[in-house]
Amino acid sequence: MNGGFVISQTDKRPIYLQIMEQIKQRIAVGDWTEGRPIPSIRQLAVDLQVSVITVKRAYLELEREGVIVTQQGKGSQVAANPGLGTRLQEEELEKHLAQAARLADLLGMRPKELEERLREAGDRRLEKEGEQV
Amino acid sequence: MSDLAIELDGVGKTYPYFTLDKIDLELPRGQIMGLIGPNGAGKSTTIRIMLGLVHQDYGDVRVLGHRMPAEQVAAKWDIGFASEDMRLYEGMTLEWHMNFIRSIYPSWDAPYAQVLLKRFGLRAEQKIKGLSHGQRVKATLLLVLARRPKLLVLDEPTTGLDPVARHEVLRELTAVMTDEGRSVLFSSHNTQDVEQISDRITFIDRGRIIDSMDKEAYLDRWRRFRLEVPFGIELPALPGIIGIRRDGRLAVATSNAFAPDMANAYESTGARVKSIETMTLEEIFVANVERSREEVEA
Amino acid sequence: MTNPVIRALVLKDWRLHRPQITFSITAGVIALAILQLKNEIAFTIGAVWFFISIIVLGSGLPISNVINERKKQNLAFLMSLPMSAAQYARAKLISTLGMFLVPWVTLVIAASILVLRRPETTNGMIPVMCILFGLPLVGFSVVAGAALASESEGWTMGANLVCNSSYGLGWYLIIRIPAINGNLKSPVAIWNSPVLMILGGEVATILVMLGITFYMQSRKRDFI
Repeated sequence: MNGGFVISQTDKRPIYLQIMEQIKQRIAVGDWTEGRPIPSIRQLAVDLQVSVITVKRAYLELEREGVIVTQQGKGSQVAANPGLGTRLQEEELEKHLAQAARLADLLGMRPKELEERLREAGDRRLEKEGEQV
Repeated sequence: MSDLAIELDGVGKTYPYFTLDKIDLELPRGQIMGLIGPNGAGKSTTIRIMLGLVHQDYGDVRVLGHRMPAEQVAAKWDIGFASEDMRLYEGMTLEWHMNFIRSIYPSWDAPYAQVLLKRFGLRAEQKIKGLSHGQRVKATLLLVLARRPKLLVLDEPTTGLDPVARHEVLRELTAVMTDEGRSVLFSSHNTQDVEQISDRITFIDRGRIIDSMDKEAYLDRWRRFRLEVPFGIELPALPGIIGIRRDGRLAVATSNAFAPDMANAYESTGARVKSIETMTLEEIFVANVERSREEVEA
Repeated sequence: MTNPVIRALVLKDWRLHRPQITFSITAGVIALAILQLKNEIAFTIGAVWFFISIIVLGSGLPISNVINERKKQNLAFLMSLPMSAAQYARAKLISTLGMFLVPWVTLVIAASILVLRRPETTNGMIPVMCILFGLPLVGFSVVAGAALASESEGWTMGANLVCNSSYGLGWYLIIRIPAINGNLKSPVAIWNSPVLMILGGEVATILVMLGITFYMQSRKRDFI
């Protein structure tokens, strides 16, 4: 029932964030579809050997973001939201862009340079896809 | 019926060379509490007071609703206690110990005991003197776990265990949580374990409780700011910042009461916030102890 | 009285000391067998061995059962059991006494039967035998009392030292009392006042030691 969740010790992010991300990933790739039941808080806590309060927090945040819904006495399940997949991916992209901007800053790059590099990355990817086709 | 598994209210005990003072602690039923602190901080004494093995000089102690130490016999039927300094009878087998405990406690779960033997890699017919340190610790824990007590009080249950054994023990400790009515209190030097499985954390140093609260909330209060401070700029002393280390243009500020507007406060002085990092419990532990040592010396 | 925890504790102590008790009874029985041989020397050896088997048990039990459990940190394990310090102390008293009395009674009865069956034995020897068999019990009650009341290895060893050195001297002095000595060959058991006084002294010592121990046990508040 724990479905292969893995909490990484080297990942410096809080555990509740890791749990949230792993649930979101499964939804984003389509493995978990709307209506699918989510493991009970206690069960996941036991399976991951993580405190109940941490799982509770993850679930609360996910509920606040509209990713899951919880019904009193019936547990939690993936929320019914058609655009969920793309919205999550949008979030991911934002995060990565922010990180790229930060790193560029550290390297002393100017925004124009960063733009250039991003375009190059996009082109490289198109080339690869072209080859595969 | 109280919903608190453990309740310490203004507890204190005076020894010739050590004083435990103003201990207030609450563990709600169904939760795991991790007790951390440096050696000699008073963890073991506090635990023994909880079990009625040491009588407090003042303050109230209630465990599973029983007043301690007066009602310790009644309480101990439902408490499973294991500590680092416990020794089993060397000349007897593990099986003999299991039968001994079984003859006293009706709650002994024999099938579960067998499962634990397998999981811990122990053989019941072996004599205690033939076991390694790690196996002895696991044997002592088995005797306590197989009774399925309502409250587990463990003094350093994973100290001295190899990583595999530690993992096995943590697995059984968290498995206790499937039953909402059961609670765990454990003390440990392994801050990673405490951080991972505790619902509440209590931090004790020099006989006093420094912090006792919800783990997620606690971790959320601590941040490390990495700042770039141009020459000539003085960093302001913000409330909630307990320490600043500066090395040329770089500075690291540690906060134990994080508020989102702290970043703005720094930036408005001309410093740049390069990153805001969460801290592991180990880093918090060290920061706390260093701070309280500095306060004593000051 | 049959508190299940106290019973479990007493049974545990018996199980832990099974080797010592078995050894003591076996040694005593062998000693009695040797005693049976139609030989003066054999009789003396057998008699001495017999007493030593009992005395050794009596000196060792208090240390092994009472003192060592504290020393070897087994107490921490026991303290987590659902019992009070007073209940633990009571269990200790019961098991320590029981583990000595059972072998003592067994061996004394066996010895009495064997000795009384011999044609050379006269009834005049009976009072002396009573005094003699009573001595290890007196010694034990002193050592056990010291162990249970003081919980200190030092005091218990001290008590052991005093008692074990006194057996020989005590016996030597007693047998030389004319009122006792002279009646050994009598066909009738004579309970004269020296005999009664000595027996009375033995009983009194035992009762006093037990009394002190009971009193201190019941006042136990803390395990440590």
